[in-house]
Amino acid sequence: MVSAQTKMSAGEANDLETKVKNLAATTKTIVSDFKQYKHMDFLSNDIESMGKLSFKAPDLVKWEYVKPYAYSVLFKDETLYINNEGEKSNVDIGDNKLFKQLNRLITDSVKGDMFDAKEFAISYFKKGPDSEVHFAPRDTDFSKYIKEFQLIFNEKGEVREVKMVEPSNDYTQIVFLDRKTNLALSDAVFTN
Amino acid sequence: MRYLLISSALLFLSCGSYPKRIRLSESARLKSEISNPYFSETTLDYVYKADITFYGRHFSGLFIVKKMAENHHRLVFTTEMGNTLFDFSFNGRDFIVNSINEKLDKKMVIALLRNDFLIMISEHPPKMKTFTLGNQNIFESEIDHRTLYYFYSEVQLKKIVRTKGRKEKVVFNFSEIVDGNAKIIQILHKNIQLIIQLKAI
Repeated sequence: MVSAQTKMSAGEANDLETKVKNLAATTKTIVSDFKQYKHMDFLSNDIESMGKLSFKAPDLVKWEYVKPYAYSVLFKDETLYINNEGEKSNVDIGDNKLFKQLNRLITDSVKGDMFDAKEFAISYFKKGPDSEVHFAPRDTDFSKYIKEFQLIFNEKGEVREVKMVEPSNDYTQIVFLDRKTNLALSDAVFTN
Repeated sequence: MRYLLISSALLFLSCGSYPKRIRLSESARLKSEISNPYFSETTLDYVYKADITFYGRHFSGLFIVKKMAENHHRLVFTTEMGNTLFDFSFNGRDFIVNSINEKLDKKMVIALLRNDFLIMISEHPPKMKTFTLGNQNIFESEIDHRTLYYFYSEVQLKKIVRTKGRKEKVVFNFSEIVDGNAKIIQILHKNIQLIIQLKAI
Protein backbone atom coordinates (compact mmCIF):
# COMPACT_ATOMS: atom_id res chain seq x y z
CA MET A 1 0.00 0.00 0.00
CA VAL A 2 1.33 3.45 -0.87
CA SER A 3 1.04 5.88 2.03
CA ALA A 4 -0.19 9.36 1.29
CA GLN A 5 2.39 12.09 1.70
CA THR A 6 1.49 15.19 3.71
CA LYS A 7 3.54 18.25 4.63
CA MET A 8 4.95 18.44 8.14
CA SER A 9 4.27 21.34 10.45
CA ALA A 10 7.30 23.43 11.53
CA GLY A 11 7.18 21.76 14.95
CA GLU A 12 7.17 18.25 13.44
CA ALA A 13 10.04 19.17 11.13
CA ASN A 14 12.03 20.48 14.11
CA ASP A 15 11.40 17.31 16.08
CA LEU A 16 12.55 15.14 13.18
CA GLU A 17 15.68 17.19 12.67
CA THR A 18 16.59 16.93 16.37
CA LYS A 19 15.93 13.17 16.39
CA VAL A 20 18.08 12.57 13.27
CA LYS A 21 20.92 14.83 14.45
CA ASN A 22 21.02 13.14 17.88
CA LEU A 23 21.09 9.72 16.28
CA ALA A 24 23.78 10.75 13.77
CA ALA A 25 25.93 12.11 16.62
CA THR A 26 25.88 8.75 18.39
CA THR A 27 26.36 6.67 15.22
CA LYS A 28 29.96 5.51 15.05
CA THR A 29 29.58 2.81 12.43
CA ILE A 30 26.96 1.59 9.98
CA VAL A 31 27.00 -1.63 8.01
CA SER A 32 24.13 -2.24 5.66
CA ASP A 33 23.21 -4.13 2.54
CA PHE A 34 21.60 -2.03 -0.14
CA LYS A 35 19.62 -2.42 -3.28
CA GLN A 36 19.97 0.24 -5.95
CA TYR A 37 17.39 1.06 -8.61
CA LYS A 38 18.43 3.28 -11.49
CA HIS A 39 15.26 4.65 -12.97
CA MET A 40 15.16 6.22 -16.40
CA ASP A 41 11.76 7.01 -17.81
CA PHE A 42 12.55 5.63 -21.25
CA LEU A 43 13.57 2.18 -19.98
CA SER A 44 11.13 -0.72 -19.61
CA ASN A 45 12.70 -1.73 -16.27
CA ASP A 46 14.80 -0.09 -13.59
CA ILE A 47 18.42 -1.25 -13.54
CA GLU A 48 19.00 -3.10 -10.29
CA SER A 49 22.25 -3.64 -8.45
CA MET A 50 23.07 -4.82 -4.95
CA GLY A 51 25.88 -4.25 -2.53
CA LYS A 52 27.10 -3.39 0.92
CA LEU A 53 27.73 -0.06 2.58
CA SER A 54 30.22 0.48 5.38
CA PHE A 55 30.51 3.76 7.27
CA LYS A 56 32.81 4.74 10.11
CA ALA A 57 32.66 8.17 11.76
CA PRO A 58 33.63 10.77 10.96
CA ASP A 59 33.97 10.31 7.22
CA LEU A 60 35.01 6.85 6.01
CA VAL A 61 32.52 5.48 3.47
CA LYS A 62 32.79 2.43 1.28
CA TRP A 63 30.17 1.44 -1.28
CA GLU A 64 30.70 -2.06 -2.52
CA TYR A 65 28.58 -3.37 -5.38
CA VAL A 66 28.54 -7.15 -5.57
CA LYS A 67 25.82 -7.82 -8.13
CA PRO A 68 25.61 -7.79 -11.14
CA TYR A 69 29.20 -6.50 -11.15
CA ALA A 70 32.00 -6.15 -8.60
CA TYR A 71 32.82 -2.50 -8.08
CA SER A 72 33.72 -0.61 -4.95
CA VAL A 73 34.34 3.02 -4.21
CA LEU A 74 35.98 4.22 -1.04
CA PHE A 75 36.09 7.86 0.09
CA LYS A 76 39.16 8.44 2.25
CA ASP A 77 41.62 11.31 2.78
CA GLU A 78 40.34 13.47 -0.10
CA THR A 79 40.81 10.54 -2.44
CA LEU A 80 38.36 8.30 -4.21
CA TYR A 81 39.68 4.72 -4.32
CA ILE A 82 38.05 2.59 -6.99
CA ASN A 83 38.22 -1.15 -7.40
CA ASN A 84 36.60 -2.00 -10.72
CA GLU A 85 36.39 -5.79 -10.99
CA GLY A 86 39.90 -6.11 -9.54
CA GLU A 87 41.37 -3.14 -11.37
CA LYS A 88 42.36 -0.48 -8.84
CA SER A 89 42.63 3.25 -9.40
CA ASN A 90 42.33 6.47 -7.41
CA VAL A 91 41.07 9.92 -8.10
CA ASP A 92 42.43 12.87 -6.13
CA ILE A 93 39.37 14.90 -5.25
CA GLY A 94 41.30 17.56 -3.32
CA ASP A 95 40.79 20.19 -6.01
CA ASN A 96 37.44 19.01 -7.25
CA LYS A 97 34.70 21.00 -5.58
CA LEU A 98 31.88 18.91 -7.04
CA PHE A 99 33.39 15.63 -5.96
CA LYS A 100 34.11 16.99 -2.50
CA GLN A 101 30.52 18.11 -2.20
CA LEU A 102 29.17 14.84 -3.47
CA ASN A 103 31.41 12.93 -1.08
CA ARG A 104 30.19 14.97 1.87
CA LEU A 105 26.57 14.68 0.80
CA ILE A 106 26.86 10.93 0.46
CA THR A 107 28.43 10.68 3.91
CA ASP A 108 25.81 13.00 5.37
CA SER A 109 22.95 11.24 3.63
CA VAL A 110 24.04 7.89 5.05
CA LYS A 111 23.83 9.39 8.53
CA GLY A 112 20.81 11.44 7.53
CA ASP A 113 22.30 14.67 8.79
CA MET A 114 21.93 16.97 5.80
CA PHE A 115 19.89 19.68 7.49
CA ASP A 116 21.82 22.69 6.27
CA ALA A 117 19.40 25.35 5.14
CA LYS A 118 22.20 27.45 3.65
CA GLU A 119 23.10 24.65 1.24
CA PHE A 120 19.66 23.21 0.59
CA ALA A 121 16.07 24.24 0.21
CA ILE A 122 14.53 21.67 2.56
CA SER A 123 10.96 20.37 2.55
CA TYR A 124 9.49 17.92 5.07
CA PHE A 125 6.77 15.34 4.57
CA LYS A 126 5.04 12.64 6.59
CA LYS A 127 4.56 9.30 4.92
CA GLY A 128 2.73 6.86 7.21
CA PRO A 129 5.09 6.13 10.12
CA ASP A 130 8.08 7.37 8.06
CA SER A 131 9.32 10.86 7.31
CA GLU A 132 10.50 12.05 3.93
CA VAL A 133 12.76 15.06 3.51
CA HIS A 134 13.75 16.68 0.22
CA PHE A 135 17.04 18.56 -0.07
CA ALA A 136 17.42 20.70 -3.19
CA PRO A 137 20.99 22.04 -3.59
CA ARG A 138 21.22 25.83 -3.74
CA ASP A 139 24.66 25.72 -5.43
CA THR A 140 23.99 26.25 -9.15
CA ASP A 141 27.00 24.14 -10.22
CA PHE A 142 25.75 21.27 -8.16
CA SER A 143 22.09 21.60 -9.11
CA LYS A 144 23.07 21.02 -12.75
CA TYR A 145 23.68 17.39 -11.77
CA ILE A 146 21.42 16.76 -8.79
CA LYS A 147 18.01 18.36 -8.60
CA GLU A 148 17.18 16.89 -5.22
CA PHE A 149 18.21 14.36 -2.59
CA GLN A 150 15.20 12.65 -1.04
CA LEU A 151 15.75 10.81 2.22
CA ILE A 152 13.22 8.57 3.92
CA PHE A 153 13.67 8.10 7.66
CA ASN A 154 12.09 5.39 9.78
CA GLU A 155 10.52 6.11 13.17
CA LYS A 156 13.92 5.84 14.88
CA GLY A 157 15.36 8.51 12.57
CA GLU A 158 17.49 6.09 10.55
CA VAL A 159 17.82 6.56 6.80
CA ARG A 160 15.83 3.85 5.05
CA GLU A 161 16.13 5.14 1.51
CA VAL A 162 18.11 7.72 -0.44
CA LYS A 163 16.93 8.97 -3.79
CA MET A 164 19.14 11.16 -5.96
CA VAL A 165 16.93 12.91 -8.49
CA GLU A 166 18.60 14.34 -11.59
CA PRO A 167 17.37 17.47 -13.38
CA SER A 168 15.65 15.21 -15.96
CA ASN A 169 13.66 13.62 -13.07
CA ASP A 170 15.39 10.29 -13.66
CA TYR A 171 16.69 9.04 -10.35
CA THR A 172 18.83 6.57 -8.45
CA GLN A 173 17.08 5.03 -5.46
CA ILE A 174 19.08 3.24 -2.77
CA VAL A 175 17.16 1.14 -0.27
CA PHE A 176 19.05 0.02 2.83
CA LEU A 177 18.39 -3.49 4.10
CA ASP A 178 19.53 -5.20 7.28
CA ARG A 179 21.15 -2.05 8.65
CA LYS A 180 23.38 -2.49 11.72
CA THR A 181 24.78 0.44 13.66
CA ASN A 182 27.69 0.76 16.04
CA LEU A 183 29.19 -2.65 15.42
CA ALA A 184 32.97 -2.77 15.80
CA LEU A 185 34.34 -2.07 12.32
CA SER A 186 38.04 -2.45 11.62
CA ASP A 187 39.90 0.12 9.54
CA ALA A 188 40.92 -2.78 7.31
CA VAL A 189 37.39 -2.67 5.84
CA PHE A 190 38.28 0.74 4.41
CA THR A 191 41.05 -0.38 2.12
CA ASN A 192 40.75 -0.70 -1.59
CA MET B 1 66.38 6.54 -60.74
CA ARG B 2 66.64 4.02 -57.93
CA TYR B 3 64.95 6.46 -55.54
CA LEU B 4 62.20 7.02 -58.04
CA LEU B 5 61.59 3.27 -58.26
CA ILE B 6 61.52 2.90 -54.47
CA SER B 7 59.18 5.88 -54.14
CA SER B 8 56.91 4.49 -56.84
CA ALA B 9 56.88 1.10 -55.14
CA LEU B 10 55.99 2.71 -51.77
CA LEU B 11 53.28 4.78 -53.42
CA PHE B 12 51.87 1.63 -55.02
CA LEU B 13 51.92 -0.24 -51.71
CA SER B 14 50.20 2.57 -49.81
CA CYS B 15 47.45 3.09 -52.38
CA GLY B 16 45.91 -0.40 -52.40
CA SER B 17 42.50 -0.95 -50.90
CA TYR B 18 41.67 -2.49 -47.55
CA PRO B 19 40.11 -5.62 -49.13
CA LYS B 20 43.29 -6.18 -51.15
CA ARG B 21 45.50 -5.70 -48.14
CA ILE B 22 43.68 -8.36 -46.11
CA ARG B 23 43.26 -10.56 -49.23
CA LEU B 24 39.48 -10.56 -49.52
CA SER B 25 38.04 -12.15 -52.65
CA GLU B 26 35.24 -10.17 -54.27
CA SER B 27 32.10 -12.21 -54.70
CA ALA B 28 28.99 -11.46 -56.72
CA ARG B 29 27.07 -14.40 -55.32
CA LEU B 30 26.03 -13.00 -51.92
CA LYS B 31 22.46 -11.79 -52.11
CA SER B 32 21.70 -11.04 -48.46
CA GLU B 33 21.52 -7.49 -47.13
CA ILE B 34 23.58 -6.05 -44.28
CA SER B 35 21.88 -6.41 -40.93
CA ASN B 36 23.22 -5.37 -37.55
CA PRO B 37 20.73 -6.93 -35.09
CA TYR B 38 22.36 -5.97 -31.80
CA PHE B 39 20.25 -2.94 -30.86
CA SER B 40 17.17 -3.68 -32.92
CA GLU B 41 14.51 -4.66 -30.34
CA THR B 42 12.31 -1.89 -28.95
CA THR B 43 11.13 -4.17 -26.14
CA LEU B 44 14.61 -4.70 -24.70
CA ASP B 45 16.73 -2.48 -22.45
CA TYR B 46 20.32 -3.03 -23.51
CA VAL B 47 22.38 -2.53 -20.34
CA TYR B 48 26.16 -2.92 -20.25
CA LYS B 49 28.92 -2.43 -17.72
CA ALA B 50 31.21 -0.08 -19.63
CA ASP B 51 34.91 0.63 -19.37
CA ILE B 52 36.26 3.47 -21.47
CA THR B 53 39.99 4.19 -21.69
CA PHE B 54 40.98 7.43 -23.40
CA TYR B 55 44.69 8.29 -23.47
CA GLY B 56 45.33 6.57 -20.13
CA ARG B 57 42.26 8.05 -18.45
CA HIS B 58 39.73 5.53 -17.34
CA PHE B 59 35.96 5.92 -17.04
CA SER B 60 33.68 3.15 -15.95
CA GLY B 61 29.97 2.96 -15.51
CA LEU B 62 26.75 1.69 -17.02
CA PHE B 63 26.02 2.08 -20.70
CA ILE B 64 22.39 1.84 -21.70
CA VAL B 65 20.94 1.66 -25.20
CA LYS B 66 17.23 1.73 -25.94
CA LYS B 67 15.65 1.55 -29.35
CA MET B 68 12.75 3.95 -28.97
CA ALA B 69 11.30 3.47 -32.46
CA GLU B 70 12.50 2.82 -36.00
CA ASN B 71 15.68 4.86 -36.56
CA HIS B 72 15.48 6.29 -33.06
CA HIS B 73 17.87 5.24 -30.30
CA ARG B 74 18.73 6.69 -26.90
CA LEU B 75 22.20 6.07 -25.42
CA VAL B 76 23.08 6.90 -21.83
CA PHE B 77 26.31 6.48 -19.87
CA THR B 78 26.07 6.79 -16.08
CA THR B 79 28.45 6.17 -13.20
CA GLU B 80 27.90 2.99 -11.19
CA MET B 81 26.21 5.18 -8.58
CA GLY B 82 23.79 6.44 -11.17
CA ASN B 83 24.94 9.94 -12.13
CA THR B 84 24.53 10.61 -15.84
CA LEU B 85 27.77 11.31 -17.72
CA PHE B 86 26.21 11.61 -21.15
CA ASP B 87 22.80 11.13 -22.69
CA PHE B 88 22.52 11.09 -26.50
CA SER B 89 19.71 10.47 -28.99
CA PHE B 90 19.93 9.44 -32.62
CA ASN B 91 16.62 10.24 -34.26
CA GLY B 92 16.51 9.84 -38.03
CA ARG B 93 19.40 11.94 -39.27
CA ASP B 94 19.54 14.03 -36.10
CA PHE B 95 22.04 13.55 -33.30
CA ILE B 96 20.96 15.20 -30.04
CA VAL B 97 23.04 15.72 -26.89
CA ASN B 98 20.35 15.56 -24.19
CA SER B 99 22.94 16.12 -21.46
CA ILE B 100 26.67 15.75 -20.90
CA ASN B 101 28.94 16.13 -17.87
CA GLU B 102 31.03 19.27 -18.30
CA LYS B 103 34.30 17.27 -18.09
CA LEU B 104 33.28 15.38 -21.24
CA ASP B 105 31.66 18.32 -22.97
CA LYS B 106 34.28 18.76 -25.67
CA LYS B 107 33.53 18.88 -29.37
CA MET B 108 36.16 16.28 -30.25
CA VAL B 109 34.98 13.82 -27.58
CA ILE B 110 31.34 14.19 -28.60
CA ALA B 111 32.21 13.74 -32.30
CA LEU B 112 34.24 10.59 -31.56
CA LEU B 113 31.46 9.06 -29.51
CA ARG B 114 28.80 10.06 -32.02
CA ASN B 115 30.70 8.48 -34.91
CA ASP B 116 31.30 5.22 -33.04
CA PHE B 117 27.78 4.89 -31.70
CA LEU B 118 26.15 5.72 -35.03
CA ILE B 119 27.98 2.75 -36.57
CA MET B 120 27.22 0.55 -33.56
CA ILE B 121 23.44 1.07 -33.73
CA SER B 122 22.86 1.38 -37.52
CA GLU B 123 20.77 -1.62 -38.44
CA HIS B 124 20.64 -1.67 -42.24
CA PRO B 125 23.49 0.25 -43.83
CA PRO B 126 23.67 0.05 -47.64
CA LYS B 127 25.56 -2.81 -49.28
CA MET B 128 28.19 -1.67 -51.80
CA LYS B 129 30.32 -4.77 -52.44
CA THR B 130 30.57 -8.30 -51.18
CA PHE B 131 33.64 -10.42 -50.41
CA THR B 132 34.57 -13.73 -48.87
CA LEU B 133 37.49 -14.78 -46.68
CA GLY B 134 37.57 -18.44 -45.67
CA ASN B 135 34.13 -19.10 -44.19
CA GLN B 136 33.43 -15.42 -43.58
CA ASN B 137 31.18 -13.21 -45.69
CA ILE B 138 32.20 -9.58 -45.77
CA PHE B 139 30.09 -6.64 -46.91
CA GLU B 140 31.40 -3.22 -47.78
CA SER B 141 29.20 -0.34 -46.71
CA GLU B 142 29.26 3.35 -46.00
CA ILE B 143 27.87 5.47 -43.17
CA ASP B 144 28.48 9.22 -43.12
CA HIS B 145 30.98 8.89 -46.01
CA ARG B 146 33.06 6.45 -43.96
CA THR B 147 33.87 3.08 -45.48
CA LEU B 148 32.93 0.08 -43.38
CA TYR B 149 33.37 -3.67 -43.66
CA TYR B 150 30.91 -6.01 -41.96
CA PHE B 151 32.32 -9.46 -41.16
CA TYR B 152 29.84 -12.33 -40.79
CA SER B 153 30.69 -15.81 -39.68
CA GLU B 154 27.95 -18.44 -39.60
CA VAL B 155 25.41 -15.67 -40.29
CA GLN B 156 26.42 -13.82 -37.12
CA LEU B 157 27.87 -10.33 -37.32
CA LYS B 158 31.23 -10.66 -35.58
CA LYS B 159 33.08 -7.52 -36.56
CA ILE B 160 32.72 -4.11 -38.20
CA VAL B 161 35.84 -2.35 -39.41
CA ARG B 162 35.92 1.34 -40.28
CA THR B 163 38.71 2.02 -42.72
CA LYS B 164 40.48 4.85 -44.46
CA GLY B 165 42.27 3.72 -47.59
CA ARG B 166 44.11 0.52 -46.69
CA LYS B 167 44.08 1.15 -42.98
CA GLU B 168 41.80 0.06 -40.17
CA LYS B 169 40.68 3.07 -38.14
CA VAL B 170 38.17 1.54 -35.75
CA VAL B 171 37.28 -2.09 -35.09
CA PHE B 172 33.99 -3.13 -33.49
CA ASN B 173 34.11 -6.69 -32.14
CA PHE B 174 30.91 -8.50 -31.13
CA SER B 175 31.28 -11.69 -29.11
CA GLU B 176 29.45 -14.06 -26.76
CA ILE B 177 26.36 -13.81 -28.92
CA VAL B 178 23.36 -15.29 -27.11
CA ASP B 179 19.80 -15.18 -28.54
CA GLY B 180 20.92 -12.61 -31.08
CA ASN B 181 22.41 -10.31 -28.43
CA ALA B 182 26.12 -9.48 -28.21
CA LYS B 183 27.13 -9.89 -24.57
CA ILE B 184 30.56 -8.40 -25.19
CA ILE B 185 31.25 -5.45 -27.48
CA GLN B 186 34.66 -3.89 -27.92
CA ILE B 187 35.29 -0.69 -29.86
CA LEU B 188 38.99 -0.35 -30.54
CA HIS B 189 40.50 2.73 -32.18
CA LYS B 190 43.70 2.14 -34.11
CA ASN B 191 44.93 5.70 -34.62
CA ILE B 192 44.00 7.20 -31.25
CA GLN B 193 44.12 5.75 -27.76
CA LEU B 194 40.45 5.05 -27.23
CA ILE B 195 38.99 1.70 -26.22
CA ILE B 196 35.36 1.16 -25.27
CA GLN B 197 34.54 -2.21 -23.68
CA LEU B 198 30.94 -3.19 -23.03
CA LYS B 199 29.84 -6.23 -21.06
CA ALA B 200 26.12 -7.02 -20.83
CA ILE B 201 24.71 -7.23 -17.31
